[in-house]
Amino acid sequence: MNIQQFLGIFISSVFIYNVILSRFLGLCPFVAISKDTRQAFAMSAAVTFVITASSVVTWFIYRFLLLPFNLAYLRTLSFVLVIAALVQLIEMVIKKASPVLYRAFGIYLTLITTNCAVLGAAVLNVDMFFANGKPVPGSFYYSLFQGFCMGLGYTLAMLIMSGIRERLEFCNVPKAMRDFPLAFVIASVLSLSFMGFSGFKF
Amino acid sequence: MRNNLIVSGSPHIHKNESVPRIMWTVVLSTIPAGIAGIIIFVIDALWVILAAVAAAVLTEAVFEVLTGRKITAADGSAVITGILLAYNLPPNVPLWMPVVGAAFSIAIGKQVFGGLGQNIFNPALIGRVFLMASWPRYMTTFTRPFSYDAVTSATPLAALKEGKVLEHLSYLDMFLGRRGGCIGEVCILALLIGAAILLIKGYISWHIPVSYILTTAIFTYVFGASQLFHGDWLFHILNGGLILGAFFMATDYVATPLTIRGQFIFGIGCGLLTAIIRIWGGYPEGVSYAILMMNAASPFIDRYTKNRIYGTK
Amino acid sequence: MKKLVKEFTKGIIKENPTFVLALGLCPTLAVSVSVANAIGMGVAATFVLLGSSVIISLVKGFIPGKIRIPCFIVIIATFVTITELCLKAYSPVLDRALGIYVPLIVVNCIVLGRAEAFACRNNLASAFFDGLGMGVGFTLALILISAIREVLGSGKILGHTLVNGFEPVFVFGMPSGALLVIGLLLGLFNLIKNRKT
Repeated sequence: MNIQQFLGIFISSVFIYNVILSRFLGLCPFVAISKDTRQAFAMSAAVTFVITASSVVTWFIYRFLLLPFNLAYLRTLSFVLVIAALVQLIEMVIKKASPVLYRAFGIYLTLITTNCAVLGAAVLNVDMFFANGKPVPGSFYYSLFQGFCMGLGYTLAMLIMSGIRERLEFCNVPKAMRDFPLAFVIASVLSLSFMGFSGFKF
Repeated sequence: MRNNLIVSGSPHIHKNESVPRIMWTVVLSTIPAGIAGIIIFVIDALWVILAAVAAAVLTEAVFEVLTGRKITAADGSAVITGILLAYNLPPNVPLWMPVVGAAFSIAIGKQVFGGLGQNIFNPALIGRVFLMASWPRYMTTFTRPFSYDAVTSATPLAALKEGKVLEHLSYLDMFLGRRGGCIGEVCILALLIGAAILLIKGYISWHIPVSYILTTAIFTYVFGASQLFHGDWLFHILNGGLILGAFFMATDYVATPLTIRGQFIFGIGCGLLTAIIRIWGGYPEGVSYAILMMNAASPFIDRYTKNRIYGTK
Repeated sequence: MKKLVKEFTKGIIKENPTFVLALGLCPTLAVSVSVANAIGMGVAATFVLLGSSVIISLVKGFIPGKIRIPCFIVIIATFVTITELCLKAYSPVLDRALGIYVPLIVVNCIVLGRAEAFACRNNLASAFFDGLGMGVGFTLALILISAIREVLGSGKILGHTLVNGFEPVFVFGMPSGALLVIGLLLGLFNLIKNRKT
């Protein structure tokens, strides 16, 4: 466990294997909510928070519940339920603790339950940081950090996209390409330019 | 140029500027670098440039006929895209590559966004990274300068990445363009002549190029060698597409921020990304990726640097 | 009978989950590198859709309205787990190629969408044909996208070389190419739709 590995996780999950642009997780909100920067930011903040929290929770579930009892095959089922419950819990806590915050991104929390980025991050953590049914050294910190970085990658893509789409409001885009099709083309160009980060060595 | 936006009372003097006039002047400013490229890499370079320009103009015309828009293929903007794309290609690529690349540049980089003045990214660079991702083998094979039988050689940046140093190259060689590289990027002297035309005419401002080049120089000086503050910054300025990119591509009117503060942020961002990719990245050169990434960020930069409208919050 | 045929065919063109409803795009883009992967993913998703639609339409009377979504998710996740285990046992190669996108069928909006919108308020036969139709529509869309990407990106289809001397456009095998293909296809369908009206 050293700084290089954390840097590697950061670069790969924010840029090279960006959740949206390379792994295609959480595409639906990416094209649906990225028209307005304020909304895009609220959504990304909510996603980052939930991904990080669920990375922690699912790590504990997998390490101390599924592995000892030989229930690894229940991974998908248990993760999806845990994430749904977690999102509900966060929603209730925020509603009670900070109504302002709740109004800012409360509605996005409900949408996140079935956001594939959250489940994807949990499954990916387990795939990468557990080997032969045992956690690799530093596994917990890696999972936590990778979850957070995937959230950052999500935020980055969302913010860039929303900035571009706000400007497109003034553009004379061909009728057939408006909205969804152009959003995908822009995402494609973004993905091409993020390739500049591939093959990083420190 | 920004200060000219202040509107005074009448009478106003009409100035004979128009989009085609500006665009054709930009074309003119790219010609010295093109001539240098043709001298250095022999006739192959000319065919690549012509193929790219023809394909760019043709694609533009076809698109505009199909979508029933005003035909602007002759206003020179498509010609610039074609030229800049060709300048970013190795001199001995098969001729279908500039054609495909230019068509991609115009179609995906410009026309789907609505044509002239509405592109989010620099179209020529989109074409380049598309070609780079699709046919990396051709895009990384360079001929040695002044060789009539197309002997291949590595670019100085690629050699640096592999840990080798091309010892026979002096800074003067690099300045004049006696090195392997893309058609339009090698002769720094010719590029600076073109840049001077644009700066004197006021078609580009100095803010982006200067902040871009300075940032790259400082960053490569600090981190470019195994020991801090020992990097060869002059080598990094004179090699790769930095000068071409900084003056001719990072200054695209529509894909860069509007305010001066925003332009400094844009230039510094480009410089940082270029240097980071050159030093630690997998590719030897990062100019095109850096500019594209900052293009993507520029609506966002604009949003946070725009001047406050008087009387509002 | 006629109604059942309609339930089946609507998922293929008129309400195609990928192109018309724009649902479940994540796996569509991720696994469409080759036609073989696409067929594997399509069959897996169709199995989950079919199984969950049938079970949900059978038990719809017993599920309290308030907690119906968690119940649907459990049913869907069960079928996904079955698929995962079968893939691991019988086709490890495909399992590795599809990677995390198999467990992610659980949050595929098509599956939950059909459960919520159709299966929980229709009878067994309708739900069966609806699920099958949607599954087939999804599979066909996947095959279309992956065929474009495989032909352009590697010059092959299902591993067979098409034209000799063709220089493959690598970008279509990459994430960026997937986004481009789906963007242009959606644009093309818009164009056709606009022409018709």
